[in-house]
Amino acid sequence: MRGPVTSRLCPLRERTEPRARTPVRRRLIWTIAGFGTLAVAACLFAPLVGSTRIHLSAVFDRSIPYADNLDAQIFFVARLPRVLAAALVGSALALSGVVFQALLRNPLASPDTLGVSAGASLGAMMAITFNFDFSLLGITAVPLASFAGSFGALLIVYGLSAARRRGTSAIVLLLGGVTVQALLSAIIAFVQYLADFTQTFRNVRWLMGSLDVASYAPIGAALVPMAMAWAGFATLPRVLDLLSVGSESAAARGVNVERTERVALVSASLATGAAVSLAGPVSFVGIIVPHLVRLIVGADHRLVLPASALFGGAFLIGCDLVARTIIAPLELPVGIVTAIIGGPVFLWLLFRRA
Amino acid sequence: MLAATDISYSYVGSAFRRTPSAQSPRVLDHVSIEVERGSIVGLLGPNGSGKTTLLRIVAGILPPLDGRVLIGGRPIEQLTRRELARRLAVVPQETHSTFDFSVMDMVLMGRYPHLGPFELEGAADQDIAREALMATGTAALEARPFATLSGGEKQRVIIASALAQASEMLLLDEPTAALDLGYQFEIAALLRRLNAERRTTMIVSTHDLNLAAALCEQIVLLKAGRVLARGATKETLTAENIRQLYDIDADVQFHARAGHITVVPIARAN
Amino acid sequence: MAVISSRLRLAASITVVLLAVAVLRVVPRAADEPRRIISLVPATTEMLFAMGAGDRLAGVSNYDRFPPDVARLPKVGGLLDPDVERLLSLKPDLVIVYDTQTDLKRQLERARIPIFRYVHRGLPDITATMRALGERIGMKAAAGAAAARIEQQLASIRARVAGRPRPKTLLIFGRDPGALRHVDASAGYGFLHDLLELAGGSDALGDLHRQSVEMSTEMILTRAPEVILELHYGDSLKPEQFDSERRVWEALPSVPAVRNNRVFLLGGDEFVVPGPRIVLAAEQFARVLHPDAR
Repeated sequence: MRGPVTSRLCPLRERTEPRARTPVRRRLIWTIAGFGTLAVAACLFAPLVGSTRIHLSAVFDRSIPYADNLDAQIFFVARLPRVLAAALVGSALALSGVVFQALLRNPLASPDTLGVSAGASLGAMMAITFNFDFSLLGITAVPLASFAGSFGALLIVYGLSAARRRGTSAIVLLLGGVTVQALLSAIIAFVQYLADFTQTFRNVRWLMGSLDVASYAPIGAALVPMAMAWAGFATLPRVLDLLSVGSESAAARGVNVERTERVALVSASLATGAAVSLAGPVSFVGIIVPHLVRLIVGADHRLVLPASALFGGAFLIGCDLVARTIIAPLELPVGIVTAIIGGPVFLWLLFRRA
Repeated sequence: MLAATDISYSYVGSAFRRTPSAQSPRVLDHVSIEVERGSIVGLLGPNGSGKTTLLRIVAGILPPLDGRVLIGGRPIEQLTRRELARRLAVVPQETHSTFDFSVMDMVLMGRYPHLGPFELEGAADQDIAREALMATGTAALEARPFATLSGGEKQRVIIASALAQASEMLLLDEPTAALDLGYQFEIAALLRRLNAERRTTMIVSTHDLNLAAALCEQIVLLKAGRVLARGATKETLTAENIRQLYDIDADVQFHARAGHITVVPIARAN
Repeated sequence: MAVISSRLRLAASITVVLLAVAVLRVVPRAADEPRRIISLVPATTEMLFAMGAGDRLAGVSNYDRFPPDVARLPKVGGLLDPDVERLLSLKPDLVIVYDTQTDLKRQLERARIPIFRYVHRGLPDITATMRALGERIGMKAAAGAAAARIEQQLASIRARVAGRPRPKTLLIFGRDPGALRHVDASAGYGFLHDLLELAGGSDALGDLHRQSVEMSTEMILTRAPEVILELHYGDSLKPEQFDSERRVWEALPSVPAVRNNRVFLLGGDEFVVPGPRIVLAAEQFARVLHPDAR
């Protein structure tokens, strides 16, 4: 029987052993290597494939003047921005999905749950219906109004979460957010009612989601809130693990629960707002990518967060590839492809849990 | 080693007012307790007497309205959350995990206060976790998903994760409330053994009088947010105090085979 | 006895006559000269004015804008939101409805109000509808003359551009302002497509046989149209925006239309209403596609 003094569980022990390879570190390396390869391969492969054949040699052939080089224009204007947008939107939605699921302690939560996505849609609907006319640094009215809408929704939900009493569970945040989402959806319906024929048509098209951005300016603009979101996400992995087991346990282990929840809420909302204002609401990515990733790497958020970012991007690049080739020369809206894939997968996940 | 002096707390009525008024109902009213190193202290009282709130305040999860908590002579506000977590660990009544963590994952979470913000667990942390599992008799469950364990096994794993936190004090909130007789006995034995081997200080909140009698050397009786009585278990857990606490006439006797007091409720007091 | 029976006979015949009059007043006659027409379709409103029956209109839709006379007529809603109460309160004797407005048709049938069902698929339907409407309201000759006038004007445009090479044309119904996103283009079906072909252009997406299609950037580059026509209706585009909107296309310099500066922004209600003014639409197309044809 070991005496208390020599036990290694003796408090305030100094650690002197060197750090050796451990499962978490090894799994992290393999996870990033594996999913990173997948993401990079998707980014390299997707711009080369499409409804029209292009030749890589012609794309980079400097001797042909750019204005005449059809292959180069298809590559740099039609496809590459699209692939980059898909990577950005896919990874943003997947990351927000993971964070919302942990924050709300609910595996069925998604970026749409708290109403940030509805806020973005409302902003876009208003810009289309009321013919907003401004633009800023090359970004047109619809994406700008859309992001403003998502930010407004975030402020409301943030205010609700800041006003709640300490020690309350995530239920209050969830209910408040769901209420905001329902309220915004009702306002969206009203705005759609006010729209005339053409505007209704444009509204409906926007709601189906489209990654065909055709220029780099909106992607650059979306990177600004995304970078802030990433800065927030970087602090979250381990604390999300602890939080998902219980906020009081987390607090007792040294987590600043209130601050963590706020950082999680704001980061995930910024990422969702950036994604939806860039490409419209793309369904299911934020809810199924985290689950698929957890099936492969387990529940540790230090693995799930980077893996979801990489897999989410690759997944959406893949869906967009299908969307633009499967009924060529016509295109399916990418939201339909993610729904067709995501719906059955989601049902399967539900039945698995039950 | 731990002293909570003059603690008062009130859950404010409205969700939007943070500061309570003088008329707000008090969950705790000028409660003081003192816990010596290496002792096991029980907090007893009926539902709503403020036991859980007091535990939360002592653990630093809730700030008190009045009074302060000192650990090792230092007020806990002066410690960072991580420092405090290295000195005391909490075992909640029930743990429900949203995601599919394994038993090892759960225990390793207890190492959080000892690691830097981006530091990953090393081999040493793994060893500590395994030791904690062995100490609670759950080493064989290491790779199993936490959600598939029985109630008693879950509770032992949570105690293991609290042990992995390598703290000198454990706070346990109703540790056996959801467990059957067999597991109740097991947990009580485990806690006694840990206290004997490692001199871990423990504060156990419970309304199981027999558990308190078996486990705790000292008890504090709370009624409606105030201390009714405190002292050594033998002297404090009396029929009179039980009547005042629970409105129940009970028979309190020393049980020779068990080696401690037992409490048998007889009738409703009037 | 004979006196009583003859008086009885008289009373009976008077009763029958009175009954007949009452029945005839209650059951509406199919009016062959309706004088209180309500038109929910802007195209038919214009047609009625073109055949000289504008004074017979009692109400128009919210979207009617031409001729200026419609401003003083009561408005009763449109395709998606007809104001049935207002409509009934105007006591029409003929209502022109869209064939797809099934609820409205049912309500009008219940109120025993005659309806004219408006169906529209392509260019030939315009003059066919004019003639059918003219016959319905008892102005067959005037309607026939107006329809013939339209057909003759269209034929002369067709003749003017006959034999000339037909440029591959992208006819764009709408897109996001300021960006090349959500581009909706004509794809081989509908009256605008027919007008384009008549005016000497070749629909770049004609092989798809759809009313409209949302085009991706890659599609625009691959189809490489020689002329791009953008339609902007009503007051959706201010003059100072024409330049900036045209410049949006400079992102795709390999498209022949962009390279040869053949991107045109056209505006006007004549592109939206498949009525008598399509001749103006065809004129605009022809002038832009074949500026040297006279």
